[in-house]
Amino acid sequence: MISVKNVYKSFGKLNVLNGVSLDIQQGEKVVIIGPSGSGKSTLLRCMNLLETPEKGEVWLDGKLLTAADPSLHENMSTKKERKAFEKEYGVNINTGRAQMGMVFQHFNLFNNLTVMGNMILAPVELKLKSKEQATKDAEALLARIGLLEKKDVYPATLSGGQKQRIAIARALNMNPKALLFDEPTSALDPEMVGEVLALMKDLADEGITMVIVTHEMGFAREIANRIIFIDEGVIKEENAPQEFFSNPKDARLKEFLLKVL
Amino acid sequence: MLFNLNGTFIQDVVKIFTSAEYMEMLLEGLKCTLLISFGAAMVGILLGMLVAVVKIIPSKSPVMKVLNVVCDVYTTIFRGTPMALQLFLMAFVIFAIRGFPMELVAILAFGINSGAYVSEAIRAGILSVDIGQTEAGRALGLSYGKTMWKIVIPQAIKNVIPAIGNELIALIKETSIVSMVGMYDLTSVAKILGGGRYLASYIAPMTVAALFYLAIVYSLTFVIKLIERRLRASDKR
Repeated sequence: MISVKNVYKSFGKLNVLNGVSLDIQQGEKVVIIGPSGSGKSTLLRCMNLLETPEKGEVWLDGKLLTAADPSLHENMSTKKERKAFEKEYGVNINTGRAQMGMVFQHFNLFNNLTVMGNMILAPVELKLKSKEQATKDAEALLARIGLLEKKDVYPATLSGGQKQRIAIARALNMNPKALLFDEPTSALDPEMVGEVLALMKDLADEGITMVIVTHEMGFAREIANRIIFIDEGVIKEENAPQEFFSNPKDARLKEFLLKVL
Repeated sequence: MLFNLNGTFIQDVVKIFTSAEYMEMLLEGLKCTLLISFGAAMVGILLGMLVAVVKIIPSKSPVMKVLNVVCDVYTTIFRGTPMALQLFLMAFVIFAIRGFPMELVAILAFGINSGAYVSEAIRAGILSVDIGQTEAGRALGLSYGKTMWKIVIPQAIKNVIPAIGNELIALIKETSIVSMVGMYDLTSVAKILGGGRYLASYIAPMTVAALFYLAIVYSLTFVIKLIERRLRASDKR
């Protein structure tokens, strides 16, 4: 469903990704772990092109997403050329992104909008839903996470755990094909990690495709179909969770697991 | 006209406030000051917004690159040279056209100067909005323009208002240099009223003019505070 093919990315002189390839199947839960600076967040952000890879391709549902990024095509300066290109490949960067929900470490709820405003802005603006439909769906999602009574407050009044659950609900209101999680619990108070993980576990059970960058090893073991260890910008090991934790092969992974488990 | 402000300070102040002739002249000056300030503020804010937008948009198109350079040159020149000199050049060189209204020259001169400062204030305001807000907008599939318009700019305005208020206050007071090009604003009227036999004659009219400036700036501050309070509604915890 999401295919990353031989992706390279560097920031200045620092090579963050050195040729990463990864296929994510429909309904699969993939957890990406690795030491800090290993490129795991960058890999995730390349999937919806929040970072533009220098080399390599990102495919979503058989459509070449990287083709839609104008910054990859120096010669595509006019709108007309870009439109023609997008037509050929059948994908536009914004519609591509709309199909992948992203959940950030720092929640990134829109501070100028109420919770309801956050939930319905994108689906209504992109004409995926009517305002009534988006509001109705948003209410259902908020009720599900037990935060319906917060719908008219601003994000500043919420706790971290509440913010993150609403950020997940906001992504779900787009009816995405996949969800990308970028360290969703790393900025939370320990007390609040549980409520967010519980919601993610629920979603996983429903069968939505998920790609998760996290440091929560227990959680990874519990929900992942596949765990990927990334270090120095390359995938060092990937395996089913049981095998991954009980029988790691890569030396760096062994060392890493010793420290975190 | 001969002015006779040579009583005590209090007597003179009372005289200024009670005599229709004095008051009429001061109000004429006030009108001039307000007209220039208001016009220049409008020009400055509009120009500032345009320049800020050009500088913020990350575009690789050649047109935008040229515009970017133009905007850089503009802010460099108008922030880097004294306002008085800019006013002189505008009045006696660039707009030295017979019959061209002086008020308009002053509005343009102060407006263009102010725009350079306002553009930087707006740019700073936009940059101060957490990058995560933009990322979240883009990740939801919103275009760059929509993300800016619906999410970043509403948050930037809050950060920009105090800086723009500051700029407007500075602008109002700086208009007092228009006397140099022969305009009758509040300050130059006060100077005329004080032109009596003694240097001390200046004290009362200047003080009254100062009170007028203070009143303008105070009302402006009040309005800015109101706007700010309203915009900060989403920050309440």
